Amino acid sequence: MSLDYSKELTLVQGNMTMADLDNAIAKPMDTKPNKNYFIALAFTSSLLLLGVIAVSLTFYYGIGEWGNNQPVGWAFDITNFVFWVGIAHAGTLISAILYLLRQKWRTAISRFSEAMTIFAVICAGIFPIIHTGRPWLAGYLIPYPNAMQLWPNFVSPLVWDVFAVSTYFIVSLLFWYVGLIPDFATLRDRTVSKIKKFIYSLFSLGWRHSNRDWRHYEKVYMILAGLATPLVLSVHTVVSFDFATSVLPGWHSTIFPPYFVAGAIFSGFAMVVTALVFMRKVFSLENIITMDHLDRMNKIILLTGSMVGYAYLMEFFISWYSGVPTEQYVAINRAFGPYAWGYWVMVSCNSIFPQLFWFRRFRRSIPVMFIVVVLVNVGMWFERFIIIVTSLHRDFLPSSWGMFYPTWVDFSILFGSFGLFFTLVLLFTRTLPVVTMSEIKGVVEGAQPSHYEGDHNA
Amino acid sequence: MSKIESGYNKKSLPNSVSKIGGTLLAIGLLLGIAGFLVDSYRASYAYLVSFIFFLSIAVGSLFLVALEYAANADWSTPFRRISEFFAASLPLLLILVVPLFFNTSNLFLWSHAGYVHGDKMLEAKSAYLNTPFFMVRVIAIILLWLFFYWMITKNSRKQDETKDQVLTKRNITLSVIFIPVFAITITLTAIDWIMSLESKWFSTIFGVYLFAGVVWCSLAALTFSAIKLKENGYLHSAIKEDHYYSLGTLMFAFTAFWGYIAFSQYMLVWYGNLPEETFWFMQRWDGGWKFVSILLIITHFIVPFFGLLSYEAKTNVKRLKFMSVWILCVHFLDMYWLIMPGMSRNNHAYSFSWIDFVFPLVFIGILILVFNKMAEKFNLVPVGDPKLQRGLNFHL
Amino acid sequence: MPDNKKLHSVAALFNSVDEIISAAKKTTAAGYKKFDVNTPYPVHGMDRAMGMGQSKIGFVTLFFGLFGAAFIFLFMWWSFAVSYNIVVGGKPFLAVPAFIPITFETTVLFAAIATVVGMLAVYFKLPNNSHPLHDTDYMKAVSGDKFGLVIEAEDKQFDKAKVIEFLKGLGAYKIEDIYYPEQEKFRMFEPKFLLFLAIVAVATSGLTYVTLNKLMYITPFDWMDFQSKLTAQKGSNMFANHEGMRPPVEGTVARGFIPYPYKGQPMPVEVLSNPTIPTKQILELGKGKFLTFCSPCHGNFGEGESRLRGQFPVGPTLHSDKIINYPDGMIYHIITNGQNAMPSYAPQITRHERWAIVDYIRVLQRAQNAKESDLKAVNKESVSNVQN
Repeated sequence: MSLDYSKELTLVQGNMTMADLDNAIAKPMDTKPNKNYFIALAFTSSLLLLGVIAVSLTFYYGIGEWGNNQPVGWAFDITNFVFWVGIAHAGTLISAILYLLRQKWRTAISRFSEAMTIFAVICAGIFPIIHTGRPWLAGYLIPYPNAMQLWPNFVSPLVWDVFAVSTYFIVSLLFWYVGLIPDFATLRDRTVSKIKKFIYSLFSLGWRHSNRDWRHYEKVYMILAGLATPLVLSVHTVVSFDFATSVLPGWHSTIFPPYFVAGAIFSGFAMVVTALVFMRKVFSLENIITMDHLDRMNKIILLTGSMVGYAYLMEFFISWYSGVPTEQYVAINRAFGPYAWGYWVMVSCNSIFPQLFWFRRFRRSIPVMFIVVVLVNVGMWFERFIIIVTSLHRDFLPSSWGMFYPTWVDFSILFGSFGLFFTLVLLFTRTLPVVTMSEIKGVVEGAQPSHYEGDHNA
Repeated sequence: MSKIESGYNKKSLPNSVSKIGGTLLAIGLLLGIAGFLVDSYRASYAYLVSFIFFLSIAVGSLFLVALEYAANADWSTPFRRISEFFAASLPLLLILVVPLFFNTSNLFLWSHAGYVHGDKMLEAKSAYLNTPFFMVRVIAIILLWLFFYWMITKNSRKQDETKDQVLTKRNITLSVIFIPVFAITITLTAIDWIMSLESKWFSTIFGVYLFAGVVWCSLAALTFSAIKLKENGYLHSAIKEDHYYSLGTLMFAFTAFWGYIAFSQYMLVWYGNLPEETFWFMQRWDGGWKFVSILLIITHFIVPFFGLLSYEAKTNVKRLKFMSVWILCVHFLDMYWLIMPGMSRNNHAYSFSWIDFVFPLVFIGILILVFNKMAEKFNLVPVGDPKLQRGLNFHL
Repeated sequence: MPDNKKLHSVAALFNSVDEIISAAKKTTAAGYKKFDVNTPYPVHGMDRAMGMGQSKIGFVTLFFGLFGAAFIFLFMWWSFAVSYNIVVGGKPFLAVPAFIPITFETTVLFAAIATVVGMLAVYFKLPNNSHPLHDTDYMKAVSGDKFGLVIEAEDKQFDKAKVIEFLKGLGAYKIEDIYYPEQEKFRMFEPKFLLFLAIVAVATSGLTYVTLNKLMYITPFDWMDFQSKLTAQKGSNMFANHEGMRPPVEGTVARGFIPYPYKGQPMPVEVLSNPTIPTKQILELGKGKFLTFCSPCHGNFGEGESRLRGQFPVGPTLHSDKIINYPDGMIYHIITNGQNAMPSYAPQITRHERWAIVDYIRVLQRAQNAKESDLKAVNKESVSNVQN
């Protein structure tokens, strides 16, 4: 392998021109889907249906259908919530933080991962509402002058969650839509179908690619990235506050905010890679979403996975260092208690397997990468499960010790959320451009003027 | 490639630099020795504050160098030597740590066998907090840093002559290994030198807190020197406001990051309200310390945040110079706020003393002298780096 | 070209990005003001080439961000510390650290929405799907991979022939005239539109009906409201006497409850002695309870002239010699036990309050039969108050 560090890597391979890019990206929208697509859609929507049935049962009979009990009052519900909120972090990270860091390779994957963000927030939003047991009362979480003359408890981290997750959803949606406007305009001018043209015109708002608009547009994109960056960190921070503001050993730990954020990015990237591996193949976008992209994504997975590993170590060390017996007990109980199997699944999937990505060979091998990212997703789900259940199941008094056993309804809701997520992803790939056309065209070779800064005399 | 050679000529720094450094060091040394003679208890704490401040810049700069390699960043390549020169002070840590080793009994309650005996919490952690193991840890950590410093800078300097790209590749490998090493060592440094001053306090985020401050102040040192050197023609002429903008953005980002970490730590302790954690903050909210704490929030977060928020601020050379000096001062204040309250454990009324402000002179003097020495020997711009041209062409 | 159409602009297309940059620079230099460049993606350096500075939209973000922060912080303070105090986890009502997360989120929310809405609606004046550039070949080209420059007819220097000449000189490969679109007439009574209106009307009213009359009255699962447990005052077949509640065991007394020893005796031989001292606080309490419970029959000053106007037996005056000479315990007994038409007030008034009422009745009696010396004492007090 010989790398030339004096040159930047080319982002789009295969000598694609701008017209080629437009055609390649718009192809899924211009053609009819094949049989495999419908098979996939049938599979995911069946999962979704299973979830809908399980949620309906929960609504009808109450959350007694779940395995939750005393002392384990939070289990699959909150685990799934934290899991999906975590998945939702990759999109904004790619579109906002990498934008601010001027990582141009993000252009090829930003649209797709932002879409995944929005779908993951939708999946996440379901869980806190159904876990209240009385979802029709959720409106009281919004501060409005209601008949009870009561305001939400602004000191409660659960109310912070409402603000954080809904703000995150709205801002992600705005960010996504702002990025879509020029693409809608391009699609509008490409299409020959009248109905499509009407829809695209509606959503493009009459965008004209005018440079007088681009000027503000770029600034706004920058500002939104600047706003979304602390926002994305704050969302998982607030989620971590749900646990860390309590005084429960194993939950009350000051490292939780950055630890949760790192874990969120980690799991989000893993989910994006999982989907990209298929997407680039199915839609023949290998020249746009290249191996270099996956390589870089895997590096970030390695980095965040190691950060999560650092947090595991710190938690374990400080629980011993603190000299507090309950803290020490929880740490030991996690690693060697009745849920030890889950703990070691989490440690191995999150901190050990990703270490394979130290080697370039594995970072660039599709099968290895696919197995590792799927394991990371499993591991991150278990991480939340372990944090929640092991801290709860053995209370301070041994008389209030118990175990959590999930029911089939628990599992069905979990699988149903995957069904919802992938159904939305599948529908998205056929209805909207999966790569940001206006951005990817700007990073093709020769897309920018050959000399413009400081060379006014030339 | 002609652009590189035309834009940079190696020059030694003016004599005034070594004079300033020497004067600061001489005055500081005299007053410092006087301080130790007058009140060795206070002087050991004051020395520790400055030592950690010095360590922050030295090892933080090495981290910035490693970060550039690991991230394959190009815009910072024209400045990389500045960070390398700051990191050149690392070997001196081995000497500078000696006065602290002689004063462990002044600093650490856990080093008193009589105090630990009978205290269950301290006895439980005495396997970690004991003088021999402490010294071994400290020396081992410094040696680890030195190893990476020597390896990385050796390759970087060799490249000035050979222009060999393999050296960049080697440095990338070294840097990627250094980053996790740095994460763990800086955490241990934070626990050993600062957290254990109040031996019963614990906070899992503490290492990250110090990390945020360390990178922040190293960036400030880099920004200040870069602008000053560029203004006087010691750096490459193609460095422009886009580069400063990136430095300003990083300083801004770490301002926000520090604010985030500091808030998380405080909020969780405040919310949990457990006596085994709150006493640390209570001590820093007691009497006059309250004003120092409030001052820290304003100077460490609010002022730099709004001072570096706009595009204009990040490209304004004067503002950047002011803010980077400000940041260096505030990082010192942060270290002061972390370390000094540990001193008043015997319920002494706390007051400032001249001894507290003597030792920064020593350490800043050393940084300047080492920097000057390095600038005499080596190029201030890594002329053989393959990424340099890319870095000079950098635009927003 | 049809003459009835109004010319909007002349548009030129270019092939490469370097051409469009130099074209923009030259157009600026030539003094054209109302011109625009259309590119499929933002081109670096174009702002400078067109002679435009940094966008100032950041101030919108800053203003609305700060506004959002101030608004939500004050709102939380008001709702939590002023409107309805709730003690949560021992936190203060103005719990600044706990307000920061929501303040931050709202700052971002306000700033982001204001920025995007401001950009689209105010800066871009969108939606605008009837702009003359739409549906032209020019637009289709710049939407794909070409770069375009338009000079509008409204520009002061505009002269069609000269502009075309100028654009050709810049190296444009294609030049196109852009006309305003013909105004379409909107027909109100077109059957399609009427049908659309009718469908919307039926759908809206149907949805409203279902929401207000059906959806709002669906009972969520309510098994917790109807549990198979014994409730107070309800019968049960579990016990022989079919009562849901159980009487207390014979001879037991509830904790903290001392039974009244003279219960049911019309004129007890001996009574309790008053345990209270008539402090100001006690008298205020007694006054309040007296006005609530006693005054409807006995009158506001205990003179027996009630507000009931004969609809109920008039209570006797409390200023009779008999009552003045009663011991405190006797008045207490009457309140507790009732007398003649007066029922027992024990369930409504606590023991302490009953004694307070007794004390207050004593005050009323003394005020009604004030002596010269009392008056002097009061005067002295008020004079000294004035002097002070």
